[in-house]
Amino acid sequence: MSSADAIAVSGVTHSYGDVTAVGPIDLTVPPGEFLVLVGASGCGKSTLLRLIAGFEQPTTGTVLTNGTAPVPGRGAGLVFQQPRLFPWKTVGGNIALALRYAGRPVTDERVDDLLRRVGLHDVAKRRIWQISGGQQQRVAIARALAVENPLLLLDEPFAALDALTREKLQDDLRQVSASTGRTSVFVTHSVDEAVFLGSRVVVLTPRPGTIALDLTIDLPRTGIAADELRGLPEFAALRAEVGHAIRDRVTV
Amino acid sequence: MTTTLAPAPPAAPAEKAALAPSGGLRRRLALRLLALAVLYLLWEVTARVMHNPTFIPSPGAVWDQLITTSTTHDGVRGYSGHLLIEHLGVSLRRIVIGSLIGIAGGLLIGVLLGTVGWLRVVAEPVITFVRALPPLAYFSLFIIWFGIDETPKLWLLSIAALPPVAVATAAAVHNAPTGLVEAARALGAGRWQSIRDVVLPHALPEIFTGIRLAVGVAYSSVVAAETINGVPGIGGMIRDAQRYSQTDVVVLGLFAIGLSGLLIDALLLTAENRLIPWRGRA
Repeated sequence: MSSADAIAVSGVTHSYGDVTAVGPIDLTVPPGEFLVLVGASGCGKSTLLRLIAGFEQPTTGTVLTNGTAPVPGRGAGLVFQQPRLFPWKTVGGNIALALRYAGRPVTDERVDDLLRRVGLHDVAKRRIWQISGGQQQRVAIARALAVENPLLLLDEPFAALDALTREKLQDDLRQVSASTGRTSVFVTHSVDEAVFLGSRVVVLTPRPGTIALDLTIDLPRTGIAADELRGLPEFAALRAEVGHAIRDRVTV
Repeated sequence: MTTTLAPAPPAAPAEKAALAPSGGLRRRLALRLLALAVLYLLWEVTARVMHNPTFIPSPGAVWDQLITTSTTHDGVRGYSGHLLIEHLGVSLRRIVIGSLIGIAGGLLIGVLLGTVGWLRVVAEPVITFVRALPPLAYFSLFIIWFGIDETPKLWLLSIAALPPVAVATAAAVHNAPTGLVEAARALGAGRWQSIRDVVLPHALPEIFTGIRLAVGVAYSSVVAAETINGVPGIGGMIRDAQRYSQTDVVVLGLFAIGLSGLLIDALLLTAENRLIPWRGRA
């Protein structure tokens, strides 16, 4: 647990009243890693992400991001399951607000550039309700990127999207992550999504969530098409391994 | 007593107009004109049958008063030395100033009540108390404090307009969307920034409903405010006309208040649609 770790979680538990949702968990994430937290619903993976974001405080143990206790808005960009965009601002206005909070110069070029990075063109002047759900989630990602924090935290960002949009966004996020090299933590309940996106996958047990499996995903990060990647025998093997780790622990 | 002379809150018909599909626009207009024509006929017939202009003046008599009060006749300017439009203008000025002060105060108090828990506990009963008082009741107090000129009238309208805005703002601010506030905080917004950029814009539709109510209340209170030394002023004109049993002038005054109220509410509604394009979409 050196201070060079992007995230250091040690001996952390978190309880809501009498119910222990998470832990105990020990987890360190080196800079540049794309960590995916996967598990059945209610296993506390979102709680763990909120602990890392600083929105919740651990009941026991400590959470450090880049060597300090996390504070919301400092050090981590956040993408939620719902886009949570501000409807009183245009698409560009949402990005501009994020830039302003980050104390960065707000220019039309900067806004357009951020939108282009998530595959959006000519939408800056649109209203939020004039773009699709998938586009809204892209804007939410661009907004989180605008702050240029060393950490990017994503809480099931694609869960509410249709399958086609979802695959497209996964593919784009994989490329954005490869190009920015930012440390990311991505929460999902989809095994396929976990193996596709992660450079490392951590499977959590049902409540209280503890680490059931910690797996390095040794698949090429760049220069490979999504279909090709999903077609690799290694991809199928890793998916099976993660899938087993989840199913073994779920009692329905 | 005088408050009963006030026009009904003009919000209801305008709201319906906004909700109705635009396809029926012509039909709705025809329906309204028809209703007006029927009302006019009823009025005309009743006035003729009753044959008692002090009780129900005929439409023609009210029209004649409109002409008389809008012009100078036999060296007499309008009514009590002021033209109808001047009476109305003075009243509108009072309504606008009173509403503006009341709205500003209501916004400030509303934001404080919505954000500071203990303040809400202390102040909410006080606001409900003031809201329950008829404006004419505390007008006496303002007369004692501020005399009989403009000051007590503006105080009356301000105090009457404040509670609707304060209550609407407090409720909307208190029910701020946690998800959006959290998103702003995750972007680095401080407490004041998240209030300015998220809580207040989110509350704007509700605040605007409060503002329209406030202007309505100020409208219905202006007659009360002009019961003492109210000339020039449309309420003062009605009051004087009542004293001399000039029922046609009273009815004319009611029309002037009601019609200008409709106009102002339409203006507010237009402003609302311009300012809050996201209403109903988020």
